[in-house]
Amino acid sequence: MRMLEARRGGRTGHLLDLALPLAGAVLAAPRPPPRTGREARRTDRVARHLHGGAAILALAVLADSGLEHYRAMFFNRAMYVPLAASSLTLAASLHGLLDERPLPHAARDAVYGLAAATGLVGNGFHLWNIGKRPGGFSWLNLFYGAPVGAPMALLLAGAVGLAAERVREDAAARRPRILGQPAGRLLAGLAATGLAGTSAEAALFHFRGAYHDPFMFVPVALPPVAAALLARAAAEPGRRRPRRLARWWLRLTALLGFAGVGFHAFGIHRNMGGWRNWSQNILNGPPLPAPPSFTGLALAGLAALRLLEEEGRDG
Amino acid sequence: MSASDNHSGASPGGPDRPAGEDPLVTPRARQGRAPDVFRPGAWLPMREYPEDEPVDFAIIGTGAGGSTLACRLAEHGFGVVALEAGPFWRPLEDFASDELEQSKLYWLDERITDGEDPIEMGRNNSGRSVGGSMVHFAMVSLRFRPEWFSARSSLGYGVDWPIPWQEMWRYYAEVEEALKIAGPVRYPWGPPRGRYPYRAHEVNAAGLVLARGCEALGIPWAPVPLATVSAPRGQSPPCVYRGFCIIGCSTNAKQSPLVTWIPRAIRAGAEIRDLAMAGRVELGPRGRVSGVHYHREGRWRFQRARNVVVAGYAVETPRLLLNSACPAFPDGLANRSGLVGKNLMVHSGHGVFGRVEEEVRWYKGPPSLALTEHWNYTDTGKDFDGGYVPMSQGPLPVEWANVLTARGIWGEDLRQRMTDYIHGAGAKIVGEVMPQERNRVTLDAEQDRFGLPVARVTFSYCDNDRRLIRHALRFQRQLLEGAGVTGLFDVEDTAHLMGTCRMGTDPVRSVTDADGRCWDIPNLWVCDGSLFPTSGAVNPSLTIQALACRAADRIRTLARRGEL
Ligand SMILES: Cc1cc2nc3c(=O)[nH]c(=O)nc-3n(C[C@H](O)[C@H](O)[C@H](O)COP(=O)(O)OP(=O)(O)OC[C@H]3O[C@@H](n4cnc5c(N)ncnc54)[C@H](O)[C@@H]3O)c2cc1C
Ligand code: SF4
Repeated sequence: MRMLEARRGGRTGHLLDLALPLAGAVLAAPRPPPRTGREARRTDRVARHLHGGAAILALAVLADSGLEHYRAMFFNRAMYVPLAASSLTLAASLHGLLDERPLPHAARDAVYGLAAATGLVGNGFHLWNIGKRPGGFSWLNLFYGAPVGAPMALLLAGAVGLAAERVREDAAARRPRILGQPAGRLLAGLAATGLAGTSAEAALFHFRGAYHDPFMFVPVALPPVAAALLARAAAEPGRRRPRRLARWWLRLTALLGFAGVGFHAFGIHRNMGGWRNWSQNILNGPPLPAPPSFTGLALAGLAALRLLEEEGRDG
Repeated sequence: MSASDNHSGASPGGPDRPAGEDPLVTPRARQGRAPDVFRPGAWLPMREYPEDEPVDFAIIGTGAGGSTLACRLAEHGFGVVALEAGPFWRPLEDFASDELEQSKLYWLDERITDGEDPIEMGRNNSGRSVGGSMVHFAMVSLRFRPEWFSARSSLGYGVDWPIPWQEMWRYYAEVEEALKIAGPVRYPWGPPRGRYPYRAHEVNAAGLVLARGCEALGIPWAPVPLATVSAPRGQSPPCVYRGFCIIGCSTNAKQSPLVTWIPRAIRAGAEIRDLAMAGRVELGPRGRVSGVHYHREGRWRFQRARNVVVAGYAVETPRLLLNSACPAFPDGLANRSGLVGKNLMVHSGHGVFGRVEEEVRWYKGPPSLALTEHWNYTDTGKDFDGGYVPMSQGPLPVEWANVLTARGIWGEDLRQRMTDYIHGAGAKIVGEVMPQERNRVTLDAEQDRFGLPVARVTFSYCDNDRRLIRHALRFQRQLLEGAGVTGLFDVEDTAHLMGTCRMGTDPVRSVTDADGRCWDIPNLWVCDGSLFPTSGAVNPSLTIQALACRAADRIRTLARRGEL
């Protein structure tokens, strides 16, 4: 074990590349020895955390893609797909949250896989939509074409859910591993990548809004720090301090997700007619469901920290 | 672009109000307060100046030039009274989504037009409101190409401006910031400019038709930099893309002077007097003007002033100066050069229209959302001097019906064509027109309701203008054909007014210096579109405002040196 850690130590950058393969194929890993009951219970809690994170992400996608695709009048039939996928993901995640058995569940697993695949394909669709508009991949089309990062949230929801299942799978008996990697490190990489990507998306759309309100810088500045701290904690699982720092930033990021809804509600109020004209301004104003993605990812990050803590104890 | 019908339910400004509240009859800015345009029924406290004590500056007209200057001078600490012939609107309450009702924004008083190509006056070129023509302008906010400021020495036509382009470009940036212009991240033409304060608006389907045409021809296009906000700004909500811009924006998204310079000016201590028609500028002792005769609340009054600024736009400004003739200036005030009223310029607004298969709904959003400045920045392949810029179009229904009836389409045919309205697409230029002395504003024998002689506006294109128009029509046909538009036909039009009190470096060949100060009378100034020595080929308001910002800074400098 120690040797394994040593070999993989210092490859933090690598962590950021793990999110995508994770979604594609979830492989069985060599099984380390069984653990104590207390540890297993803790791991089970981690799995539930992950289901919670996936649920929030799925809910955000459901609401966001629902609104945006309604705004686009479901011009293309395919626009219904993310609604279905995110609804199923939400249901699976709630089921996972309530499920006391420390075992994976084939249907949930399938749903998460479907969500991840939908996210990937959706992103392809969005890219294609942008590319075919006059001007191609211009700022204008990035601003107003199909939002390039949005389907990734569904991919993340699926990936976090898949991770939850893998953790359950291993929870009872063994130290959880995903893709042959210690689950904590992998999850940390996933959450960090997700946070950085979601932040990039906020940066793009807040740039479109010309950062007219200084608070618009917060989701651009704060989550990347959390992502970096999380990555560091994953790179040095033996040390406590990085984990503590990461935990606080992640909690802050989780709160930001909720606060963001409030800010976006205020942004809607600043459109013509304000909330009295909610039926139009919810569509025109800043998207209410977008910021909670940060909460979902922060929860995944926090779960990763728990796993890291245990992995660190082994190390 | 989503359907957004959330303009406020505005009620017409006239008949259904008690007489005392009709803004066309009773002034609103008085008794120490002026309308707060952002809050229904609310007021801003406003400083008032006595008539019998000379105020530092009396400004006539509160349009692009007058309001900007009033604001900047007040912010520099000068006392300012701005007289405006038109009413002080409250857009949230007074503006209706009705083309006919909104004709209340235009200067529709009698004017005589003649020449070989008489200009249509009113709707498309002159406003009468606090805020001036920009209250119903199309918000296109473009910078002059640098070389146009030295048109004669750099490009070999027209005359040079008395101000270097670098200085003008600095002031453009100031104005763009003041109006939070929403423009593209990268502008394809001209030297690098700073980032526009707000991001460009989404381009509507009508704009994308032009974009497709440009891409088919392999030339660049860009979203139009516009004076309407793409994100909230203060009390202005972002644009809702309903497209009533040129009959007055009822949401205050449009950054016209009425919601930008004017509230700023009032806060800085300027007084705005609405429904105040200036009739004559009075020449006092020692060759300086002493104040303005103006008509308000049923009688003629006199405002004493240390300086008078005329900012009534390129017809009313020369008209007022000519009307103010006196023994010392028998041919009109400040007119020793004989150039007051001469060199009137318009922009040619020739366009090509047709039909596309898809539903374009070109009325959605600001009227022009895409353009190409290709022929402004390319000097080869032209058989004319100057430039032009094609822009996508979105005429409102009555305007479009007028275009059709002008082609002799009536009755059932017209009805049919109007049902096709949502398939319309087209382009129109802002085309440079050469200055000619025979194009001019003079006084007619006829009188208006104030007993003042009305303006006679004489205009003819020159050969160069006609060559430019031919080129532009041909090019726009290629552009639209490239985008798949069928059934093309040409439309003649003009827009904007410029020139009639040209600025320059030589008192013999210009009316004012670079600061807009009249050569003949040191405390008489001009600050509006009349100052333009050449027209350039972009819409003029950004340049007018830049000139006004510059003039205000120059006046402060001159005052500090004791040279006022
Ligand atoms: C329909 C339309 C669309 C336009 N679109 C654009 C565009 O997209 N981009 C652009 O840059 N430009 C546009 N313009 C042109 C732009 O609005 C004008 O060039 C600009 O407003 C002129 O500024 P100004 O200060 O010279 O005159 P104005 O803005 O016209 O202001 C003059 C003011 O003086 C007042 N006045 C005149 N005489 C007197 C008097 N004797 N006493 C008291 N008050 C008086 C008038 O009532 C008026 O309010 C448009 C114009 C129109 C009409
Ligand atoms: S700028 Fe034009 S489209 Fe935008 S809100 Fe105003 S009137 Fe409507």
